[in-house]
Amino acid sequence: MNTPEIAMQRYHDSLTGIQPSLTGAELPWLAGKRRSALEDLTRLGLPQRRQESWRYTSIDKLLGYELMPVTEAMASLQESDIRHLWLPDLQTHRILFVNGRFVPQLSDLSGLPAGITVGSLRDLIRCNPIMPARWLGHASGASRHAFGAMNSAAIHDGLVIDLPRNQRLERPVEVLQISMGRDDAILYQPRNLVVLEAGSEATLIERHVCLGNSHYFHNGMSEILVQEGARLEHLRIQEESPAASFLHGIFARQAADSRYEYSGFSLGGAWARTELNLDLQGEGAHARLDGLYTTGSNQLTDYHLNIRHTVPGCRSDTRFKGLLHGRGRAVFDGSIVVEKEAQKTEAHLNNANLLLSRRAEVDTKPQLEIHADDVRCSHGATVGQLEPIQLFYLRSRGIDALDAQRMLCMGFAGEILEQCRIRPVSDIVGRAIENELNALAPEVAGASSD
Amino acid sequence: MSASSEILDRFVNGEYEHGFVTDIESDTLPPGLNDSVVRTISARKQEPEWMLDWRLRAYHHWLGMSQPDWAHLRQPQIDFDSISYYSAPKRKKDGPKSLDEVDPQILDTYEKLGIPLEEQKALAGVAVDAVFDSVSVATTFRRQLTEAGVIFCSMSEAIREYPDLIQQYLGSVVPHTDNFFASLNSAVFSDGTFVYIPAGVRCPMELSTYFRINEARTGQFERTLIVAAPGSQVSYLEGCTAPMRDENQLHAAVVELIAMEDASIKYSTVQNWYPGDARGRGGIYNFVTKRGDCRGDRSHISWTQVETGSAITWKYPSCILRGNDSVGEFHSVAVTRGQQQADTGTKMIHMGRNTRSTIVSKGISAGEAQNTYRGLVRMTPGAENARNHTRCDSLLIGDRCGAHTFPYMESRNPTARIEHEATTSRIGEDQLFYCRQRGLSEEDAVSLLVNGFCKEVFNELPMEFAVEAQKLLNVTLEGAVG
Repeated sequence: MNTPEIAMQRYHDSLTGIQPSLTGAELPWLAGKRRSALEDLTRLGLPQRRQESWRYTSIDKLLGYELMPVTEAMASLQESDIRHLWLPDLQTHRILFVNGRFVPQLSDLSGLPAGITVGSLRDLIRCNPIMPARWLGHASGASRHAFGAMNSAAIHDGLVIDLPRNQRLERPVEVLQISMGRDDAILYQPRNLVVLEAGSEATLIERHVCLGNSHYFHNGMSEILVQEGARLEHLRIQEESPAASFLHGIFARQAADSRYEYSGFSLGGAWARTELNLDLQGEGAHARLDGLYTTGSNQLTDYHLNIRHTVPGCRSDTRFKGLLHGRGRAVFDGSIVVEKEAQKTEAHLNNANLLLSRRAEVDTKPQLEIHADDVRCSHGATVGQLEPIQLFYLRSRGIDALDAQRMLCMGFAGEILEQCRIRPVSDIVGRAIENELNALAPEVAGASSD
Repeated sequence: MSASSEILDRFVNGEYEHGFVTDIESDTLPPGLNDSVVRTISARKQEPEWMLDWRLRAYHHWLGMSQPDWAHLRQPQIDFDSISYYSAPKRKKDGPKSLDEVDPQILDTYEKLGIPLEEQKALAGVAVDAVFDSVSVATTFRRQLTEAGVIFCSMSEAIREYPDLIQQYLGSVVPHTDNFFASLNSAVFSDGTFVYIPAGVRCPMELSTYFRINEARTGQFERTLIVAAPGSQVSYLEGCTAPMRDENQLHAAVVELIAMEDASIKYSTVQNWYPGDARGRGGIYNFVTKRGDCRGDRSHISWTQVETGSAITWKYPSCILRGNDSVGEFHSVAVTRGQQQADTGTKMIHMGRNTRSTIVSKGISAGEAQNTYRGLVRMTPGAENARNHTRCDSLLIGDRCGAHTFPYMESRNPTARIEHEATTSRIGEDQLFYCRQRGLSEEDAVSLLVNGFCKEVFNELPMEFAVEAQKLLNVTLEGAVG
């Protein structure tokens, strides 16, 4: 096992080593950003359990690997390898990334209206870096922990969307992020940048999948700016490899009267942490954040939400649900901060967890920090198992234990899935969860009715 | 090593041997803390060797600890060497045998505070063990309690008279290594209360102790230990007041409750210490460790608190639900105004089967005050079919105050159920309007609404306390609205 200090030093050295090979290494503004991120990395050190936001999330597993940062594109994939991974029955602008690198030959951006940018951050930095120079690091601000600093120290490629004023993108943008392991454990760090200018509207669907079952560490970051009156629907399906480490920080900023709707489905990964930082910075901004996670044996799923209301009259509604089975572990930390100026705020947060096995564990921590008085805020959290009486009802009607459990669980998950307006997405997630439940040992369902 | 040799050095030099400041009314140790202060306290209280050893172990452990800083509090660093650790009212050679022997001036202070002992005596069966600074000066209703077999005495007396019980139970819920302030308390606690209810006895009256802090710069380090033997029942009331004072005073008490099989302990607190002036100067620092251990099956511990005073309140009365079917309760009203800060809540550690806990917390924040609920509910793997329900509501009065809620929920047993709900809002304008329309002044309307908000908790208080608490709330919020 490596100590955090040794691991940090190794990350630092390897990221320093690849600096010359990164996109736009010759651009002073970008090189400067990366350099200061490297300094942040040294200053912050790797997270430790005694830090409040890492209290329930150990990084020991991660430290066990010698990680190789990769920046070059992966060996050839065939269209036939990935055809089944695109969403069925949906007209979308398709964009494919493999290990964080854009793969133009397997993407399909032909139907994109003029004036709209959807593509690779690397390409944009190389041919027209004005937009990235303006916005990179804008929403994320200073690095909050070492992994964020590591991402910023090696900005290289990722998704970029730039929607000009009042442009409405009819078809959703569908992003496929494929992880392909190698013999050695790799580290890849996509950096996404999404800017919706005033009055524009878009739907973004991201799907993270893995080919193969090897270990890798996805350390990604997304910056999202939703300007005045703009609207973004953001859907994410995370189905990483059962061996993967996955950390993704989303930093979203909303201007006045904007809408941001997030539906996140976290299903895969051995160690998967999603951080969702939302700043409501313009009056009248609304956000809806929905999430569903499942976690089974040898899995840790961690959701960290930081919702910050800084101006009056905003609203946020947050609902996250978790299904835990086997020896699955879940961590949920959802904080709402209402600053002094943010009068007339309405903010609600709810987290519900269903434990389906003896060995599953959950730690949940909703938080309210409120400095304004004219507000309506609430949070709630529940942890429990299926109601034996509901199981009994179904069993008494001749439904076997496993089916009964599955039906009740799907009902539980359904509340989140129904919120998702893109049918093919909720279908895929629903099917994945159903398969996961079907694979459970039948004794699990029986155990709860003792 | 160097630290301990330094201590030895200081002890050998014996700088405290002559160190008693006897002013008009009390014996007070000069400020500062070292080995010899601990020894002096122990010697003054004529404690046996084992007690001194325990204090010294706690003190040496404390030396290696640092003051915690995780709470949601702004506070200046406390200089532990500027505090005097012992203060005893000057007493006649043999100590008072009855109220007549008590210094009339002390009695007069009680009168001013509205807790005349004479009256208390007559009051419906409430026995008062009044603690003036650090030494008990009067105890009433002793005989009646003795007849029931109940031990209700000061801690120093208990250490002398019931060493077996003290050795068995003291520190068994809050060990001397528990936390910074508990360790400090263990080293220098001056006095406190010991209650022992024998098996099957229902305590014939509600027990009550009034605490007061009187000497400037005297930290109060009370130690309370309540043991309820199998099948017994007791209700204990703790109330506090303190006079105006300019300097911050540290209060680091430790309360330990132990409930054996089928026993029940109800512990109620009304805390109204000096909160400091409008600009936040002065005021008491109230850093208290309170913990109950439901050691036996079907035992029951209930904490009820009304916190209106102190510049900073930092306490988490907790329950360890060890016995099967044991029950823990926490009912709290915390009111902060001006520059007050409160970081309070509870911990419910479920270990036994079918254990249940209820948490009801009402926080009211006015002026520039900060009010934080911080709680933990932990279901350990053995907590089969355990239940918890938590409800935290915060009320904001004024736009410069803050209300925060930080609950932690950890579940290691799927059959356990945790439910948590929290809301934060201000007094509804429509509610105010309704009251105003019916001729209530704004202040009365607010008082009515706030009392309604707290009712659930006040209902848990013993009768006299409930009335007192309501009055206190009204007084506290006077002028907070407008």
